[in-house]
Amino acid sequence: MSAANDHVDASVDSTAKDAAPSSGKPVSGRRSRLAMLFATPVGIAAITADLLVILLAVFGPIIWGTRAETNDFDNLDSGPISGHPFGTDKLGRDILARVLVAARLSIGLALSATLIGIVVGVLIGTMANLAGRRLSRVFSTFIGIAVAFPGLLLALFFAVIFGAGPTGAVLALGAAMAPGFARLTQTLSASVVGRDFVSAAKVLGVSRLRVLTRHVVPNIAEPLIVNATLAAGSCLLAFAGLSFLGLGVQLPSYDWGRMLAEGLNAIYTNPMAALGPALAIVLSGLAFNLTGELGAQLAGRRTTRGRRRQRGAADGSDDQRAPGAGGLPAAADTPSSDAVLVVRNLRVSVRTDGGTIEPVRGVDLTVRAGEAVGIVGESGSGKSLTALSIAGLTHEPLEVTADELWFDELDLRSAIGRRGRAQLGTSLSLVFQDPMSSLNPTMRVGDQLAEVATEHQHLSWKNARERAVSRLRDVRIAAPGRRARQLPHEWSGGMRQRAMIGMGLMGEPKLLIADEPTTALDVTVQQQVLELLESTKQQSGAALLLISHDLSVVSSVCDRVVVMYAGRIVEELPTADLEHARHPYTKALLRAVPSMDTPREEPLATIAGRPPDPASLPVGCPFAPRCPRADDRCRVEPALLPVAGRRALGLAACHHPHLDPVSESGVSIVDISKVGAPGIGETR
Amino acid sequence: MSSLEFRDVGVTFGFGPGALRAVDGVNLQVPDGTVVGLVGESGSGKSTLARAAVGLAPLTTGSITVDGTPIPRRGTRPVQMIFQDPVAALDPRMTIGASLGEALAVAGVRGRRDRGRQIGRLLEQVHLDPELAVRPPAALSGGQRQRVALARALAAEPKVMIADEITSALDVSVQGAVLNLIRELRRDLGLSMLFISHNLAVVRYVSDLIAVMYLGRIVEIAPTEQLINDPQHPYTRLLLSTAPRLGATLSAGRLPDGVRDVEPADPHDPPTGCSFHPRCPVGPAVDPGRTDCVTDDPFLSIDERPHRAACLYAGRHSLRKDPA
Ligand SMILES: Nc1ncnc2c1ncn2[C@@H]1O[C@H](COP(=O)(O)OP(=O)(O)OP(=O)(O)O)[C@@H](O)[C@H]1O
Ligand code: SF4
Ligand code: SF4
Ligand SMILES: [Mg+2]
Repeated sequence: MSAANDHVDASVDSTAKDAAPSSGKPVSGRRSRLAMLFATPVGIAAITADLLVILLAVFGPIIWGTRAETNDFDNLDSGPISGHPFGTDKLGRDILARVLVAARLSIGLALSATLIGIVVGVLIGTMANLAGRRLSRVFSTFIGIAVAFPGLLLALFFAVIFGAGPTGAVLALGAAMAPGFARLTQTLSASVVGRDFVSAAKVLGVSRLRVLTRHVVPNIAEPLIVNATLAAGSCLLAFAGLSFLGLGVQLPSYDWGRMLAEGLNAIYTNPMAALGPALAIVLSGLAFNLTGELGAQLAGRRTTRGRRRQRGAADGSDDQRAPGAGGLPAAADTPSSDAVLVVRNLRVSVRTDGGTIEPVRGVDLTVRAGEAVGIVGESGSGKSLTALSIAGLTHEPLEVTADELWFDELDLRSAIGRRGRAQLGTSLSLVFQDPMSSLNPTMRVGDQLAEVATEHQHLSWKNARERAVSRLRDVRIAAPGRRARQLPHEWSGGMRQRAMIGMGLMGEPKLLIADEPTTALDVTVQQQVLELLESTKQQSGAALLLISHDLSVVSSVCDRVVVMYAGRIVEELPTADLEHARHPYTKALLRAVPSMDTPREEPLATIAGRPPDPASLPVGCPFAPRCPRADDRCRVEPALLPVAGRRALGLAACHHPHLDPVSESGVSIVDISKVGAPGIGETR
Repeated sequence: MSSLEFRDVGVTFGFGPGALRAVDGVNLQVPDGTVVGLVGESGSGKSTLARAAVGLAPLTTGSITVDGTPIPRRGTRPVQMIFQDPVAALDPRMTIGASLGEALAVAGVRGRRDRGRQIGRLLEQVHLDPELAVRPPAALSGGQRQRVALARALAAEPKVMIADEITSALDVSVQGAVLNLIRELRRDLGLSMLFISHNLAVVRYVSDLIAVMYLGRIVEIAPTEQLINDPQHPYTRLLLSTAPRLGATLSAGRLPDGVRDVEPADPHDPPTGCSFHPRCPVGPAVDPGRTDCVTDDPFLSIDERPHRAACLYAGRHSLRKDPA
């Protein structure tokens, strides 16, 4: 059975993917982005400049070679005249022609030096990561020392050692550039070498050279190339400098640096003799830098694109308010007095290259005073975004709308004034998965807690500190006075999480939102933090909105569970009824996750396919492609409707919910009107 | 026929006062055709032990052998490993087929045609469509990528497999299929496996034996049912009582006051005697009479006890012992 199930799983996976945008899109997306970049002023300028420089280097000497060597004895050392727009040199040779001809040598030498610098640098840099333990250390030390020397000094030093002349200068500049590239390569490759696929290749027995060429270099090539292009630009300048000093190209050869030096002698009779080569140096340097810039933008775009999804969740410090829903005026009636949070039709959308997607698609939620509600859902189901938008912590590309968004009689949709925000500051507190990113690493923990009280309650610093220490004691930090003076990194993960809860308690919170507060913690520490959340709730009377992917975590603390799938609530039920979930997804989830009592002889029940991508939701019920009960009716997305449960009324968004036969349950369906299940089935 | 054996294995990182004994004298055997589960909290040394077995972490003491032969530090290892992060597991610049092909080439499969056939077979073995071979990893879901990583490890025809938290980054709805696959491969191929996870329910489901690790040492090992139903070491009991269970309230795992909020130990400066003593619910922090826990190393007398649990009082206490 397992094989059959898995096969279904696999095939559904792959077919689902065909429909998903992930398969074909990145390529075309990339291409269009490339095209877009090339259409920018930088792109156009870079490409034109590159083309000119290349053409000049290739064809310059062929076209103007003879002209540059022809002596015009009638016009020695002349300024710009007709026939010689830049004038002539001491031997009557045309300066413009010589500038154009010198391009090949100048650029060629600069590129050779860059090439040497890159090859040597990359070799040393990768060796520092891939060689044996001891050798690596030698390489790293060497790079460290070499990088510490100023590059130009190093170049001069090598130029003297290798002797004056083009070969010497190329070697010198190459050697001077190598340490920088070595350091860059070392840092870049260190991050690649530490990745699991490199470890896997090593364990498989793939040779070191192949690991280097197949796995490491391709994955660091992008930033290396960008840097190389930029370096080539500065190399061109440096080479001109060496030639100018007489350490580079020697007569009768000439490059722009050499010409600059000669031109400078005649600067008063013919300024163009110096300005000509100088202009050439500047322009071609610019071409290199523009190209590098373009490359950097391309590379940069790609990485920011990949990270976008995580933004916002990680950063809890920004309290930029989400724009409230426009249009609809607030409902005339304010929410019933004991509800701390009322959310109606909350939607979060984000505009992407491929159109607008909606990760949260109409969430309704009510949390009453002192109640603990849990939101469960898999990654991408929209649970964190729901929490973030309630707290007003969403960022720019995300757009939040809602028909109603009441927190403690405060309409969060309208642009609230300073006073309102200050009130929100301490009456709604948040705890995130990674407390380290929510704490300032350079500030003492106690001071960070105290700061909340000085800002929002206008306590004096001394009083605020005292309150901070007492809150740390409340969250059961041992020796809170001493601990308050420590920095976050001196605390364990569990302690930092408790500090965040303590910070939330600095005011008098009415609602505590905890987003995966224990996901990064061990079970023993998780128990401590959950116990703390529970006792905090009891002592302060605050309501708790606990978000987790783990049903058992939620069920141990919460009175009510909300299950999200594909941006919607698909089921809402009292924790006590969890075993009798109505929605096929909840049901499947409960059976698919092994518990301490799962029979070990049988295969686990699986859910075929995978959660849908918000960018390409199936038509109708989003669970339909994975649902064993799906039929034609499911082509219309079901609404969240009341369904009778064993103990109380629940809500489910399904055309064919699981309903126990009354005889089997032994309990008659509860009388809806008499059961006051908090927030469930409430129609207002 | 293929068993993996750790003998007195120690791994120390760093030198001098900053040194850290991540793995400290571990003796463990993964018998032929058996799945041994390894549980323990973060930083207890599970991954380090695994990496040592495939030559990615240097041994400071002891030896690791497969069927009596030490593990080579170069070339194809007889032990293959699958890692936690499905994103980092595959080279983003290589297609699925290229990744598998590389492993096959190292394992000595020559010729394009042969390799192509084997790639198809491997993908089918992990229940993936062979057509995925031409796709880049980015086109695959996390669960699919973990299966490819599994297929790549299988390509090397390992004698023993190590799975380090392979489902912890997966969505729960996808995790089940990967766990089923592990059980199926073990049944069909007779794989020996060290299965690491911090999730006790997952480990219980796939393992025949479970080893519990604390601060670099294995404090208890027993057949799965026995360890779950009759744990001997207080730390094992703590893990079991705090493992979240559906429908259980928090109070089930509540600890005595003396140890409720004690922090996990600093691995740089492990406690004396029994390294679990500051947090032990039946140790000196709760029962002041048990001073020997602070001074005596329970590993020294482990052979004298029938349970081979590294606790001086193993078999003589209950977790819910009332202080006073
Ligand atoms: N390369 C390293 N250098 C120094 N210390 C290390 C290194 N790798 C691991 N450690 C340390 O060794 C100890 C054991 O780490 P290990 O990764 O083996 O733990 P783990 O049991 O796998 O934890 P987790 O459950 O978090 O994966 C930790 O204290 C860790 O900080
Ligand atoms: S509406 Fe249809 S497809 Fe959706 S969960 Fe219910 S039965 Fe399944
Ligand atoms: S030796 Fe003592 S402190 Fe250690 S586990 Fe046993 S009872 Fe607890
Ligand atoms: Mg680990």
